[in-house]
Parts: sequence; structure tokens; C-alpha cells
Amino acid sequence: MTMSRLIAVEFFKLRKRMMTWLVTAVLVALVILLYSILWNVSGRAGGFRDAGRFVTYQSLRRSLFLSAGVPIALNVCAAFGTLLAIILAAGAAGGEYAWGTVRLMATASSGRLRLISARLIVVGGLVAGGVLLAVAVALAYSAIITAVNGGASWDFLTAGWLKDQFLSYLRTVFVMAPYVALAFAAATIGRSTLAGVGAGIGVAFLEPLISGLMRLGGPPWHGIPSYLISANRNIILLQNHLPPGVPSFGGPDARDAASGSVHSVEASSIILAAWIVGFIAVAFAVYRRRDITAGGGA
Amino acid sequence: MTEAREILRTEGLWKRYGRITAVADMNLRVYEREVFSFLGPNGSGKSTTVGMILGLVRPTLGHAYVFGDDMQTHPWPALKKVGAVIESPAFYPYLSGSDNLRVIAMALGDIPKTRIEEMLELVGLRERGRDAYKTYSLGMKQRLGIASTLLRDPDLIILDEPTNGLDPAGTREVRELIPNLARQGHAVFLCSHLLHEVQTVSDRVAIVKKGRMVAQGTVEELLGRGQYLRIRAADNDALAAALGGVPFVTGVERIDGYVRAEAPTAKAAELNQALSTLGVYVSELSPWEVELESKFLELTNDEEEEVAR
Repeated sequence: MTMSRLIAVEFFKLRKRMMTWLVTAVLVALVILLYSILWNVSGRAGGFRDAGRFVTYQSLRRSLFLSAGVPIALNVCAAFGTLLAIILAAGAAGGEYAWGTVRLMATASSGRLRLISARLIVVGGLVAGGVLLAVAVALAYSAIITAVNGGASWDFLTAGWLKDQFLSYLRTVFVMAPYVALAFAAATIGRSTLAGVGAGIGVAFLEPLISGLMRLGGPPWHGIPSYLISANRNIILLQNHLPPGVPSFGGPDARDAASGSVHSVEASSIILAAWIVGFIAVAFAVYRRRDITAGGGA
Repeated sequence: MTEAREILRTEGLWKRYGRITAVADMNLRVYEREVFSFLGPNGSGKSTTVGMILGLVRPTLGHAYVFGDDMQTHPWPALKKVGAVIESPAFYPYLSGSDNLRVIAMALGDIPKTRIEEMLELVGLRERGRDAYKTYSLGMKQRLGIASTLLRDPDLIILDEPTNGLDPAGTREVRELIPNLARQGHAVFLCSHLLHEVQTVSDRVAIVKKGRMVAQGTVEELLGRGQYLRIRAADNDALAAALGGVPFVTGVERIDGYVRAEAPTAKAAELNQALSTLGVYVSELSPWEVELESKFLELTNDEEEEVAR
């Protein structure tokens, strides 16, 4: 009962916040922008090379049809959506310190751990909901492209297809989670939104670069990246089967790095889960023990 | 007459940040239906103490109990009965005043929506209740802070500088509100720098300096009311010498052209008679009134302390 009340409070606060609507609007705009560009480009004659394969523009156009709408939307979410989710998570945790409302909520709610859990649940729910919205927008745009290009067919709509799309959705939300957890933890520990955004986006951008350097470094460095977030994220995302020719946004070497990894999908999932649990555990431990004073902490 | 119930108690409360001692051996008692004022200069440990009372700050040593609950191990039942604004009101800037109260009401549970409107009405914010908090003046923010503390109809209200930013009319309203709250059955724990206000509304006062309590008691006790007489005569030297011979006068001091005699004010007539018997005729004789501000400065001023040494 108490938890559901606190979840309702956290949802109410984020629902009323401009930032939530802004990141949602940016995500929707990105999906629409990507579809518009690909629709335009796929009207050309000929083809191009992608990951060693020749892809015709005509086949790219077919990739934009309804049957491939979900992987494209999930691809946008895994890349740009992750950055937006980082901002949302960091803002949800860090804003309380900036406004001094951390004390207000700590004395009005029935337990610090319940309060931070409710906040994390709502952030997670909004991220999952945002990915779903992106999929819905992509499917709507795909339906338009499909109808305009005379490709209307519902043959793809089988139980197997639905299962694949659902698993792709779960995989995408799962690979976003370590970054969300990191941003949430960093904002909580650093008592500011900026700390969360900085840590989340910093790791998202710098980790692949540093991993590349480590791979070049030989033993013992070259084995470390396979235990970090980025490489394991890419291994899992490869299971989403993005249509050929559609940009992956997974970093310049996303597919190559993933293909050269030693981990199975199961092992990568365990590694990412460990990162998620680790970040959340640290945030909870700090929030539970720490003094809450002016400006958020002593 | 029944003894007032104790609702807040701190026992040997200490807070250290590294080598800095913010609060040292703080022992407070607050009883139901009383206005208790907690005074001290900036940085004297008031807010840290309040933080420990509310379970927000972990004491290095000691315990704080509110309604009998240890605020470090089991604060939540007590917090439901406490309304507090610490240092300055803090709310969500993008939410309206009404929505900010709604957030608190939702978190606490069991608070009807009508209560939010009632509180906005009480603090004069009904007209602006739908406006974003970030558009409020400092005075309006203070009012919303008071509304938020009363939302849960608490048994203990903690107000930290509640008149900060209020205009004279607002200040007067709050000054009148505080004793009314006590009359309605709430205990009020008041932190304020406006000592004249504190003096007029408080039942008991504690004064802290550098984290340590330097005085605690009723306003009467603290100011020594009824214990000092202010006397003047044509020859104050002779007056002071004569007072030394009166049995119930326990102390004599020369201050600003007067002689302050430590003696019960009820014995003023008897003292006058005794002095005239000794050949000293007084031109003025009245109770020695001390303002809380003077007492506060006397207890907290380092310079005076240094001079005294």
C-alpha cells in the first residue's frame, strides 16, 4: 500500500515535469527523422555497401515496411533513447537535491529505501514506456510507408514474429538499464543531476573508445572490455536483427566488436545484470546511510 | 492539574563532522501544547539538531525520541505526527502550490483533498494555489511551508525562521498563529532570530552556542523575572553599601546608573522600608526587566566572553 502510494507520487512528479515530456518529444522526433531520411534515401536507384554486403536502395525501402518497424525503432532507442533515459534518470534523482525537496520527501514518506525504490521503479517504467512509444511511432510511420509503396501485407504477423519483436523489446530495455542505473546512482551519490548525466553519458561515449585502446594494449588489458557494459550491450543487441542498410548507431565498431567477443548472449546478460545490480545497490546503500541536510547532504 | 506529556526528548545528542563538533551533548525536552524556542547564532548547530530530531541526520552519539520513537531506528510512526520546515521552505518549482501540497498528501496518505484547499485558505494562498511555486514571492513560499506543516494536522510542528521574507502584516499573522497552534493542542518547536517575537510567543526557550546548550528554561526563568530590582538613589554608592546589609538581597551590581539588586520583586516594599531605616531614600524602584535579546547576546557573544575573562 505504502509502495504503491509512493510510486503514484513519483509518477505524478515526473508526469508534471517538463523534462519528461521534452525527452519523450525528442525520442519521437528522432524516430520520425530517421524514418523520413531513410524513406527519402531509399527512393534512389542502385545500392551501397553495408558491413561487407551490397544493399540495394529498393531492399532498404522494403526494410522500412511494417514488418521491420520494431527493430528500427528499438535501434533508435538503444542509441539515442539511452542518452535520453540517462537524462531522465539523472533528473529524477538529482532534481530533489537541487530543489532541497529531498528533505521534504524524506520526512513525508515512510522509509528512505521505499522512496528511492519507488523513484527507480517509476524511472524504469517511463523508460520502458518510452521505448514502447517509439515502437508505436515507428509502426505508424511504417504503416504509411507500406501503404504508399503498395506493400500492404499482414503475412508477417505470426506468433513467431510477435515473439521475436517482444524479445527484441525486452533486450533493448535491458541493455539501456545499466546506463539508467548508473545515471541514477551517480545523481544520488553526487547529489546532482549533472553528476548523473555526466557519468551516464560519459560512460556511454567514452567506454567504447577506452575499450578499443584496451584491446590494443595486449594482456592484461585486452580482456577487460568484454566485462564492461558496451561490448556486452552490443552482443545482446545483435540478436535484434536490424535490417541490412539501416544505420546501427551502436558506435563505429559495434557489430565488429560484438562479433569478436568471447561471451555468449547468456554470459553478456549476466554481466549486464551484475552492473545494474551493482549500481543500484551502491545508490541504495548511500541514500540509506547518508545525512540529509541543506543542499542535500552533509 | 495533570503533567504535560513529553513529546520530544534528546539524550546526549552529539554530531561531529571529522574534527568539527556541530552539536555537543544536546539534551532537549518539548512538551505537548507548548511553544518551545530554539535559539542560537548562525552555525550554532540548530538545523543539525533539528535534522537529528527528524531522523535526517545520523547522530555521532546519543538519541532523539519523538513520541517515544527512536528517530534513528524507527522514525516513521513519529514523522506522521510531525510537520516541519527546516531552514527554508523547499518545494518543486514546476508544480503549483496546490500540487506541492498534493505530493505531500499523497506520500503521507489518508489526507482528504479538501484539506489541501483548507490549508491554502488558512495561509492566504487560495487565489494563487494553481500558480507554479517558482512564481511565488519569498513570503508566499513561507506561507506554503506553513501550510505543508499543518497538512497532516501534526502534534509537533517544527518551524525554522517562519517569518523570513514576510511583510509586517504576514509576520504579525504568523506571530499570532503560533500561540493559536499551541492552544489547539499542537506543540511548536520554533527556531528564530527574531527574539522579540520569540519572547512574546514562547513558553520555554533553549539557547545554543557552538553546538552546546548554554541555557534552557521558561522565558521567566531565563530572564530572571521576579528576581531582580532596579533601584536608583541620589547616592548610588551609599545605596549599594546599604543593600549589602539587607538579608534577602543576595547580590548587588551597578549597571548604567542604576543598582541591580538580586532580590524577589515581591519584597520591593520591604526593601524600600529597610533602606529608609538605614538612611537611604530611593528615587526609583521597579522590577528589572530584561529583554530576551539582551540575554541572548549575553550568552552567545564571544567578545563579551573574552572581556569577562
